[in-house]
Amino acid sequence: MRARARRRGAGTGADEGGGGLAATVEASAEAAADHTVIEWRNTLGGKRGRRARGRAHHPLLRIQEEIPGRWRAALVALGLAAPILLWIALSQGSSGDLLVPSPAQTWRGASRLWHEGVLMGDVWASLRRILIGYAISMAIAVVLGLLMGSFRSVDSFFEPPIGFLRYIPATALVPLLLFWLGIDEMPKVTLIVLGSVFFNILMVADVARSVPREIVNASYTLGAGRLRVLRRVVLPHSVPGIIDVARINLAAAWSILVVAELLAAQEGLAFRIVRAERFRQVDEMFALLIIFGIIGVVSDLSLRALRRRVAPWARP
Amino acid sequence: MTMTVVRPEKLEIEGLVKRYPGSRRRSEVTAVDGVDLTVGDGELVCIVGTSGCGKSTLLNVVGGLERPSAGRVEIDGDPVIGPGADRGMVFQGYSLFPWRTVAGNVAFGLETAGVPRPARRERVAELLEIIGLTEWADRIPRELSGGMRQRVAIARALAPEPDILLLDEPFGALDAQTRRVLQEFLLELWRRLRTTILMVTHDVEEAVYLSSRVYVMTSHPGRIAAEAPVPFGGDRGPDVRRDPRFLDVREQVQALLVGQARS
Repeated sequence: MRARARRRGAGTGADEGGGGLAATVEASAEAAADHTVIEWRNTLGGKRGRRARGRAHHPLLRIQEEIPGRWRAALVALGLAAPILLWIALSQGSSGDLLVPSPAQTWRGASRLWHEGVLMGDVWASLRRILIGYAISMAIAVVLGLLMGSFRSVDSFFEPPIGFLRYIPATALVPLLLFWLGIDEMPKVTLIVLGSVFFNILMVADVARSVPREIVNASYTLGAGRLRVLRRVVLPHSVPGIIDVARINLAAAWSILVVAELLAAQEGLAFRIVRAERFRQVDEMFALLIIFGIIGVVSDLSLRALRRRVAPWARP
Repeated sequence: MTMTVVRPEKLEIEGLVKRYPGSRRRSEVTAVDGVDLTVGDGELVCIVGTSGCGKSTLLNVVGGLERPSAGRVEIDGDPVIGPGADRGMVFQGYSLFPWRTVAGNVAFGLETAGVPRPARRERVAELLEIIGLTEWADRIPRELSGGMRQRVAIARALAPEPDILLLDEPFGALDAQTRRVLQEFLLELWRRLRTTILMVTHDVEEAVYLSSRVYVMTSHPGRIAAEAPVPFGGDRGPDVRRDPRFLDVREQVQALLVGQARS
């Protein structure tokens, strides 16, 4: 306690002495001349005496640290097996009424869809809508996002309306789009674009903004004009980030597609789920959900592979 | 006045002021306040100062990356109005293009200048030879050490044959040993190419060891407090570091900056 009082006293003394250059120098010289040892041991009342120093952490629960490879493999396997085991358990409990079909029943449901000859048509119909809609969305997002991230003026103009529009749930636009565009492919593709483009634009703009200023400045001092900086510096630097954005928002695009297909479609994975529900074919519904999951995982992995291929210089 | 003006100077700065306008939350800041400075053709000059004294701002103005609030900045008598390949710049780090190879980085300035591919390749090979990284031509910056990266950055800035090379704390992020190696590298490079170099650093020893003149800059606002000539020629070697005359200049410059850091 005595020590703390002493230190505070020294501090206020220096503060009071402040106000001019000479005074400050004088005060610091005074402090330097004061060789009294400041006594501040054990003021916090901690444990004393012989004891183990520090605190050991369990090897599996260390923040951000790598874990042993064998443990990693085991935990991954467990993470995959657990939901399947849970599924099997649930299906055993509800045998008879088929609320939860077993994996075997789901497989039979899938093969029934296959033999009806509709499965590939449905997968392709959904995939085509996503591919077209999401490609349009990403094309707009890359152009506008790079411009917004590079030019404050473009950002100031587009940020407010986009900030507003992205809070309108895309799914709430379904009735309006059906009213305007009818019930064929147009409203579905439009909905996918509208549901993802605003998020994509803002996130690509963030990616473009993260191009280090020093790299842009270095380009200028190497004689590059603004157009060259955009094409040869901002764009290549943003490529890995743009692929990440595409990967993250793709899942949202799928859920928008489902809403579009639920309301009006003749084919498509979500349309097939609705139809299966009408005939109480829970096994087919399960099969279709798993197909959704598989398509998602495959697209995710492909985009990761694409990123590694076109931007090997960027760390994941 | 019919007298012809003799211009031995490569770079002339007169009455340079750089102010950042204040806002409701921030008061106006004068980063550079009335700086006069010259660098002769083929001279290597350093500006030394504490962190935040405005020396980088000064260099950015010469590079054309920032506009001066007042004053005159001229290269060979031509006013500087923006960035260009005639003033090559090297920054502290992270300014290489991470997706381009070493050769690709060095070639960038030649591409913007429209140099055809064969001539480009030849020039890049020549520069890689000079910086001793020929075998690293196809590597990307991530695979290089910090010292190698800065050598590539220097080669990249030299490629379009600039009138002056502006170095902004180029060795600031390197460890002490690598820093020494690169100082020797820069001196050797300067001896061979006789490029005009203006370098900014906070390392007094580095400034005195490399340059023929040292400008000492003090902060708040950034002004040139002194100009110290260094009594050694371009043929100096590491032994100079122990020479009493070297130590004397170093101490004087150091004292100026310590005095400023205290206040």
